[in-house]
Amino acid sequence: MRVLAPSVRARLTLWHAGVLALVICIFSAGILLFVRARLYRALDQQIGDDLATIEKVYREETGDLGELAHRMGITRFQVVEGGTILYQTPGWPPAGTTPYRLGTLADASHRITAARDETALRQTLWTLAVILAMGVPCAIGLAIGGGYFLAGRMLSPVGAMAETARRITAASLTKRLPVEHPQDEFGQLATVFNDTLSRLEAAFAQLRRFTADASHELRTPLTAIRSVGEVALQRSLSAPGYREVIGSMLEEVDRLTRLVESLLTLTRGESGRIQPTLEIVNLSGLAVSVVEHLRVLAEEKEQSLAIDVAAEVSAKCDPAILRLGLINVLDNAIKYTPGRGTIRVGVRETSSGEAAIEVEDTGLGISAVHHGRIFERFYRVDQGRSRESGGTGLGLATARWAVEANGGRIELESEEGKGSLFRIVLSTLAREPLVGT
Amino acid sequence: MQRLEGVAILLCAVRVLIVEDETKVAKALREGLEAEHYEVRVASTGEEGFFLVHHESFDLVVLDLMLPRRDGLEVLTTLRKRGLQTPVLILTAKDTVDDRVHGLDSGADDYLIKPFAFPELLARIRALLRRGRPDQILKLQQDDLAMDLVTRKVVRAGESLELTVREFEMLEYLLRHAGHVVSREMLARDVWRVTARATPLDNVIDVTIARLRRKIDDPFATKLLHTVRGVGFALRSERG
Repeated sequence: MRVLAPSVRARLTLWHAGVLALVICIFSAGILLFVRARLYRALDQQIGDDLATIEKVYREETGDLGELAHRMGITRFQVVEGGTILYQTPGWPPAGTTPYRLGTLADASHRITAARDETALRQTLWTLAVILAMGVPCAIGLAIGGGYFLAGRMLSPVGAMAETARRITAASLTKRLPVEHPQDEFGQLATVFNDTLSRLEAAFAQLRRFTADASHELRTPLTAIRSVGEVALQRSLSAPGYREVIGSMLEEVDRLTRLVESLLTLTRGESGRIQPTLEIVNLSGLAVSVVEHLRVLAEEKEQSLAIDVAAEVSAKCDPAILRLGLINVLDNAIKYTPGRGTIRVGVRETSSGEAAIEVEDTGLGISAVHHGRIFERFYRVDQGRSRESGGTGLGLATARWAVEANGGRIELESEEGKGSLFRIVLSTLAREPLVGT
Repeated sequence: MQRLEGVAILLCAVRVLIVEDETKVAKALREGLEAEHYEVRVASTGEEGFFLVHHESFDLVVLDLMLPRRDGLEVLTTLRKRGLQTPVLILTAKDTVDDRVHGLDSGADDYLIKPFAFPELLARIRALLRRGRPDQILKLQQDDLAMDLVTRKVVRAGESLELTVREFEMLEYLLRHAGHVVSREMLARDVWRVTARATPLDNVIDVTIARLRRKIDDPFATKLLHTVRGVGFALRSERG
């Protein structure tokens, strides 16, 4: 069993009171010692004066020591000369319950001892001690009470935040914590918390969209398989007819397989389960090889596919993953550029010293409203047309993952009707890749 | 030549053991392999497979890794420990690099990831059975289409054909698998050497096939390169 940890409020109060008690105790002890020392010094001074007077009388023998004793009243003293007591006040040595303080003045011939009653002094000290002893617990009590109250006041936003946070679930992610003082610690905490909530809300929304899209994408081939099969069963077909039907079903199976394959790659990649193996890669060489790879597609559409590699540009990345990304970007460009269009692939170093691979086309262009979501899985600018062209709807999402897994970013500059420019920007320096976001 | 091969197979039928618990898959595999003149035995559990391997002799074992009770890898490891030499092809739905390495380390000769294309399974089986025999083919031929691997010349009906490097490699692959269906996955992996299955290559393959067909088939009466809808492509005489 775990011992219940006391609340922050209680801990804060206890610490506060403890420190205060320690300080007060040290302070009280100091006062007591200081006052005691001062009082005793004053008493000793008086005794010293007495001794001086007695000695004066004794030396000059101008007066009677007895009279001196009488005149000095409360003072008690004893004068000893060469072993014999010359004079001593009655009741010497002082004894009994009344405390006395003694002082002695001595030389070779004589010794004078004087005593003074210190009852008043002790009483003063005692009174002071009592006052302090009663005051300290009161002060500590007050400190505990005040501290507890203040800590409660200060911590009340935390309670409110916890209460709000408790009410936030996946279904009510739109709620936000109130931020009263944005500058103080709690305000900052609430702001950070709210930012996290915003990101979470966006992630959840994306996930919901993705789930809906994925089920739609998966259902489309499934529906085709099912209906083609069911319709074929109701009719009597010749052998070539059945062949046709089965072939058609297999085509859809192929589509499903490709979709699942791409989704798996993407999911594994985004959850960081595909670790990039970094090496220095000649981007120019990689771009040339990808262009040659897909050139037949451009040729088939009579597009001009130009490659513009200025100088050798290298970056530290995983060549296989980056290649996958670039193939997807270029495939996308070829797909959405009409026949006889132009596609240019360029590799260069940017003014800020980064490596950039650009894929520019004279295609349909992408209107600015789609820019934010074009890299999302299954996001399509034009639903019908895109599926017609045989894409999985995962190409650009795969491309973005591939680039980001290599610590880079992918940018889009495009205007509807004026073509698009996709830019893969990679750091030329050896930087830690960011796997998953 | 086709016919001769068939006779040879019939004379000493190649025995294949399939260890697969999924009844539908097992049935499809049995029928598909029997159509290719293999003699097939099916075991539906690891135990049964283990027993059969011990009591009968097989030329090849197709082993599913996810088996009830006894894991496929465990069966394989035990068999290898006991000195079994028969080539083993594993079928698995796990496709991470670690899984593959683990499978091959346990003594598998090859692996195939589910869902796989049946033509590919056939090609792998042929390759495994061929293993160890020298492969010194310098010329490939199908009907009047001939390819010289040394001079890299392709001739059909006495007419020399100009092919690009990729088209040549693709035709070579199709000729090596002449009479059998070749799937797009096989072409992607073996001709384009692309291992990431998420790479959008199907269009490239289709276009290259179309171009190859224009060169080797269009000018001639007999068509050799056929599309098997939903499965892949095959190089064979029209009647076959």
